Amino acid sequence: MLYDLLLILPMAFIVIGAIVLMLLSHAPRLNVLNRNAITIVILALSLGFELVHYTVNPATFAFASLFGKTFIIDRFSTLFDIMFLGGAMLTLLINHNYFKSRDYYDGNFFALLLFGVFGMMVLAHANELLSAFIALESASLSIYALVGYNNANPKSPEAMMKYIVLGSITGVFFILGVALIYGETGSTLIGDVYRHIAAHPEMPHTLVIVGGFFIMVPILFKIGAVPFHSWVVDVYHGAPMPVTMFMASTFKIALFAIALRLYLIDFEPINALWSQLLQLIAAMTLIGGAFLALIQTNIKRMLAGSSIVHAGYLMIALSSVGMGGEYAAPAIMFYLISYFISSVGAFGVLSFLSSKEHRSLTFDDFRGFGFSHPYLAVMMSIFMLSLAGFPSTIGFLGKFYIFISAIEAGQIGIAALGVFTAFVSIFYYFRLIAVMYFYKSEATKQEFTLDTTTLLIALMALMSVWGGIGTGLIPFVAGADGLIDIAREAIGSLK
Amino acid sequence: MEQLLTLIIFLPLIAAVAGAAVRASAALLRLLALGAALGSLGLSIFGAVHFDPEGGMQFVHIAPWIQSYGITYYVGVDALSGVVLLLVSLLMPLLYLYMWHEKRYGYWYNMMALHTGVMGAVLSLDLVLFYLFWEAMLLPVFIMIGRYGNTNHQYNAMKIVVMTIFGSMAMLLSMLYLGYTFFVTHGFWSFAYSDIAALTSGAEGATLAAAGFLLAFAIKIPLPLFHTWMAPAYGSSPTPAVVILSSIMAKLGVYGIWRFGFGLFEPTLQHYQTLLIAVALFGMIFYAIHAIMENNLRRMFAFSSGSHLSLILLGLLLENLYAWGGSLYLIATHALASAGVFIMIGLIFRRVRSISVDALGGIAAQAPKFAFFFSFFALAIVGLPGTGGFVAELLIIIGAFKYGVATGVLTATTMMAAITFVFWMLQRTLYGASNATTSGFKDLSAMELLIVVPLMILLLLTGVAPSLFTPYAAPGIEMLLHSAGGL
Repeated sequence: MLYDLLLILPMAFIVIGAIVLMLLSHAPRLNVLNRNAITIVILALSLGFELVHYTVNPATFAFASLFGKTFIIDRFSTLFDIMFLGGAMLTLLINHNYFKSRDYYDGNFFALLLFGVFGMMVLAHANELLSAFIALESASLSIYALVGYNNANPKSPEAMMKYIVLGSITGVFFILGVALIYGETGSTLIGDVYRHIAAHPEMPHTLVIVGGFFIMVPILFKIGAVPFHSWVVDVYHGAPMPVTMFMASTFKIALFAIALRLYLIDFEPINALWSQLLQLIAAMTLIGGAFLALIQTNIKRMLAGSSIVHAGYLMIALSSVGMGGEYAAPAIMFYLISYFISSVGAFGVLSFLSSKEHRSLTFDDFRGFGFSHPYLAVMMSIFMLSLAGFPSTIGFLGKFYIFISAIEAGQIGIAALGVFTAFVSIFYYFRLIAVMYFYKSEATKQEFTLDTTTLLIALMALMSVWGGIGTGLIPFVAGADGLIDIAREAIGSLK
Repeated sequence: MEQLLTLIIFLPLIAAVAGAAVRASAALLRLLALGAALGSLGLSIFGAVHFDPEGGMQFVHIAPWIQSYGITYYVGVDALSGVVLLLVSLLMPLLYLYMWHEKRYGYWYNMMALHTGVMGAVLSLDLVLFYLFWEAMLLPVFIMIGRYGNTNHQYNAMKIVVMTIFGSMAMLLSMLYLGYTFFVTHGFWSFAYSDIAALTSGAEGATLAAAGFLLAFAIKIPLPLFHTWMAPAYGSSPTPAVVILSSIMAKLGVYGIWRFGFGLFEPTLQHYQTLLIAVALFGMIFYAIHAIMENNLRRMFAFSSGSHLSLILLGLLLENLYAWGGSLYLIATHALASAGVFIMIGLIFRRVRSISVDALGGIAAQAPKFAFFFSFFALAIVGLPGTGGFVAELLIIIGAFKYGVATGVLTATTMMAAITFVFWMLQRTLYGASNATTSGFKDLSAMELLIVVPLMILLLLTGVAPSLFTPYAAPGIEMLLHSAGGL
């Protein structure tokens, strides 16, 4: 029992921290920076325990006597936890300046964020479909509330309404899917579904296939895959900057935690049936996202459109899982990390700039940015290159792994489409670089000040480059391929 | 010795990073750049001295990079890349001298990054590593054209990037496919040039894979139909960028066809040989006509450069010892001559702020030294006897006759037609009475002479005494031909 408590300690920290922060939400002595610091400390404590878990690797079920096999602790889920916690911490730290400049961040904001992280962590550990649904919805509810947090800006509640209505409708499909699967297999445990399918190869498994696809609907919706994408641009635009950043990077990772677990275990024998459907969705997502990103003039909206394209790349890899290549699933994790690094960096630059100016930034606002902010411009260029998949950045390696795993799975057509979309995306990413460097600025040159925000942006830029070219020759420092090995090990723990 | 090539590649980048780290002033930055370039040149010469002409691939260095897919940091040099390496090493210090009084930091940083990118692309023998450098060298050019260029430079910078990356992406897809084919046949991953070359290249899909590579190179060279970025980009680039575009990056396109086209897809190229020869011949005359009609000097020599690159490609496609020797020779001599010409054009622009032929005239009377050098380089481009270009073109014509009389006659006559523009251009810019623009045209200063004289000496040396250089390159070319399966 005590041992089980140790196992869930990281999650306990988060949920207790969230409740404490909520109770303290009207304590007048705490200002927004104190609250930010407290939240970061809670996340860091939890992260510390997760790192211990990762090295010890208990690989067991928590409270097995109470919950059975509902709640699993393995390398895979621990690694995802580490990514959520790291992501949340970076999001909070990098927005340090932004919090200072806005007055609407009170204690509830941080409590909601922690509840969201808690939901994601439970989602990664869920080994049962209903618990997964509850975890997914509790994470989503926190995000819904966070999206509408800035009620001074009419766009923010509008975005929340759009997101909550569509999100709840798609969420229902999850339950329907679980019911159908239960109808055929008589169990909602993830391993049991696999065993049922394996034990009855002669059955058509119609209910499992249809139910499985219903389960995918909310996941596809939340990663913004076409045709479930209509909310993405508006919600990303309307949400406060830290929330957009959190959604684009961290929340997306959480959805792949459950998608991968389902794909690699439950539906492993019937992957091939879905592959074509997923390929179709991937193709639509790539093309639709690229069009959306091409027509934007607002940077935040452009990044939102491009995040749809990145979801498309992930869909390519998801459609290749179990089709031949051994690296398709690790490629997804690698890509998530690489996208996380570059998008947090890019949003970080936006957040740094909007902490000074209270309006959303367009391409024109970046005119002459290379002259007025030379250092930040270099970093922004690195993030754009990384998002575009330019070689020598981590984004290139991410795309490389995805395309090659698609080719390994024999899906050259979709890989070619991915490469073509990467070419199209060159235009909107390079456009920002061009705008920054090719025009003179009226603004005077700003001195580069080193504070939490800029330091972290610089760190992200460094990681983008090192992740693309790093060699394994330097002792104790992971090279460019260090991450994929970790991801492979974690995926291996599922089998 | 193992680290020699790595040092050559990264010395400029290290200098740039050091400069950025200490926030170097322009004066320090140019010393750093020149120092790195001279160091790189010294190391290249050191390598050339120790180069064994019979030894095939040398100074090879392999280090693990992305192990799960067998991608390595794999560099090495043979006769082919050795020539391009020496060329780049020689040109870079001269370019740094040309921009000696440049105060804009970005200019220097971009040039240094470009230096590393170009060197890396020449020396890398792993497909993915090659792709990395191939793309990386585009970025500084993009920034330099867009930031320091003129006349619609933002648009032209975007155009060159979008078009070039389209080709590179096709190449990337081909590379992935080849790597996968290797994995299927051998059971382990490798993207090393030597491994992929050993694949049976008649395999299914080889034509499409070859097309991916050729598209990238055709856009970079550029071949006719893929050339729409060329004249605008050359026209709005600052001089150092245009020298690199014409003397080095375009040559890298040909180098790519040589190394990767013939190295990996010889049967495919053989199959389409007639068609490709026709394209090359068409390119020679097509660009020559463009050059005659052009009024802007930079654009004019951009087209002339396209014409000569088609000639180099023609030599390659003929696949015999004379033509290949001629092509390699022309890569070197055309690079030297076009560097000379574009530097002279840059000097004209510095003096009179105009490079349109109509506005110029009568420079010879004002600045005899300038006129001498300008006409020397312009004529060296079209193969003035006594310069290296003549030797190279002669070899290619011999190779063409060896391939077939009709091809020989066509090559020789097209070449004649392709050089006419130079005389008319020289007549209109240098001779006649000087006008308002060119009166008071300053002659070459000592510093400027320092830049152009080495180029002239090299062009004369390659023209008068080709026997000095052939022993180094000939065995290597024979080996390449042999391994490609030609004669």
